[in-house]
Amino acid sequence: MLALGKKHRIAVAWAQDANTIGAINKAVKKGFIEAILIGKITEIIKTCKAEGIDEKNFALVDSDTENKASSEAVRLAKTGDADIVMKGLVGTDKFLRAVMDKEKGLMLPDAVLSYVCALQIPAYHKLLFITDPAVIPFPDLDKKVAMARYSIEMAQKFGIKKPKIALIGATEKMSRHFESSVDYSIMCKMADRNQIKDCIMDGPLDIFLACDKKSIEIKGVETPVNGDADILLFPSLESSNPFYKGLMLFAAGELAGLIRGTEKPVIVMSRSESELSKYYCIALSCLMA
Amino acid sequence: MVLQKMNDLRRLIEGGPRKKLVLAAAQDQHSLGAIIKAWKDNIIEPILVGDKEEIENICKSNNYDITGVRIIHEPDIEKSVETAVRIVNSKQADILMKGKIGSATLLRCVLNKEWGLRTGNLLSHFALFEVDTYKKVIAVTDVAMNIAPTLHDKIAIVNNSVECLNKLGYEMPKVAVLGAVEMVNENMQATLDAALLSKMNQREQIKNCIIDGPLAFDNAVSLESAQLKGIKSEVAGDTDLLLMPDIEVGNVLYKSLVFFAKAKVASIILGAMVPIVLTSRSDSEQAKFDSILLAAAASR
Repeated sequence: MLALGKKHRIAVAWAQDANTIGAINKAVKKGFIEAILIGKITEIIKTCKAEGIDEKNFALVDSDTENKASSEAVRLAKTGDADIVMKGLVGTDKFLRAVMDKEKGLMLPDAVLSYVCALQIPAYHKLLFITDPAVIPFPDLDKKVAMARYSIEMAQKFGIKKPKIALIGATEKMSRHFESSVDYSIMCKMADRNQIKDCIMDGPLDIFLACDKKSIEIKGVETPVNGDADILLFPSLESSNPFYKGLMLFAAGELAGLIRGTEKPVIVMSRSESELSKYYCIALSCLMA
Repeated sequence: MVLQKMNDLRRLIEGGPRKKLVLAAAQDQHSLGAIIKAWKDNIIEPILVGDKEEIENICKSNNYDITGVRIIHEPDIEKSVETAVRIVNSKQADILMKGKIGSATLLRCVLNKEWGLRTGNLLSHFALFEVDTYKKVIAVTDVAMNIAPTLHDKIAIVNNSVECLNKLGYEMPKVAVLGAVEMVNENMQATLDAALLSKMNQREQIKNCIIDGPLAFDNAVSLESAQLKGIKSEVAGDTDLLLMPDIEVGNVLYKSLVFFAKAKVASIILGAMVPIVLTSRSDSEQAKFDSILLAAAASR
């Protein structure tokens, strides 16, 4: 756990499920957050009781619908009463609508909303950041550039000064038939010319060339990433999402992920994620706050 | 090995067999002048196809001694071009040169499916400049043939030129893909194509050269300006070949080098079975001579 300077306040929208409350409680007990749980207070207290958690560990705010709870969480962050916003049992679309609201939301001006996550995989020698497994279905060049910048920024928060970023495709060749390989070639040149800063970038690369030195030797491809990627940038949600879920399920992966493009960290997790991953997400949000 | 001066091309052909150059529609004073000089200098051996009487008259009135030069009499201009192209097609000559005919007519014959000089490659124009203000000769493509090359065309144009430079002794020529700026800009297609060509070169999809781009003209040819801009590039400041984004840029650069920088220029068409000398009437006799010299060196 990285040392955190101060306690951050997290506002949780529709915080009525055991899984969320459990993860929040763990972080509160570790002493690095204060939590404001927003939802039907009676439900929250009932869940706490059932889990054997003291509801006095949290500030509670009463709200009777998912939408209102989401707006309230965002409002608290906007006014500075909270540092981080987290999604509870509310549907992702409803929650993000409140985050992206043009007037009351948390989007930075002209920012791209995206998602970066750090994966811990026993089979890999270090943390692996991936983007975007959750928000942008088919990123165009501008969005890919934004994704690259967000992931570089996050890796830097973990102390990696010049992260190696691999732009993932099915092959390492440039082909006009693969739009992503065209975008990737352009991005590499942007990195050459310092239009994307503070990284070592190469792509297209397949995952072997990105993460496995032996494959580099076998294929004889010269790449500065050199089988030692810190970040994998995927061409689409349909490639990145199964990648991380496969790792979670089959390779004992754990993750910590965060929405990017907002004034303050926003945590969105799927309900099926483990309590440990949720806890990691909270810790990550504090790191990025 | 790098060519410092246009005349260094001579070193490449010294000792080798003299290349046969066939001149189509040879009744053309400017071409004949350059050819006779190149012949006397042991650079080529000419074959003249055209109106024999006219050819002889031109030579007589200009004091060109053509004793011993093979002349094939064909007074019809179109037919003389066909004859010249067929001679090359049947491997009896190494270089084709345009005489007193339009470029379009010559190229139509070159592209004839039956007896032309097609290889399946795109035809492209390749020019070599000697400028006092640059440390070596610099090649430029394409300034005269392909109007608005697509990425696909640019790959073919680079490949043609690199193959030619390899023949001229450049093992790994440095290719600068020109743009108005050295940054990638989504609104400037040239800069995007440049990025793609660079990547294809890194992945060895374009071989035998080092490609970087986009580079603006100044950082392509001046290490100082590249350094001022903080550009890290193997090519910047040391370019052997400049790839033009389109014919407008290319043609204006070509003419500014010739008229303002008093550059020496030689140019040929690549992509056919043999190099084609396709100079225009407005080119100087020196340019025609140097183009013949370049064609001879490139047909090694």
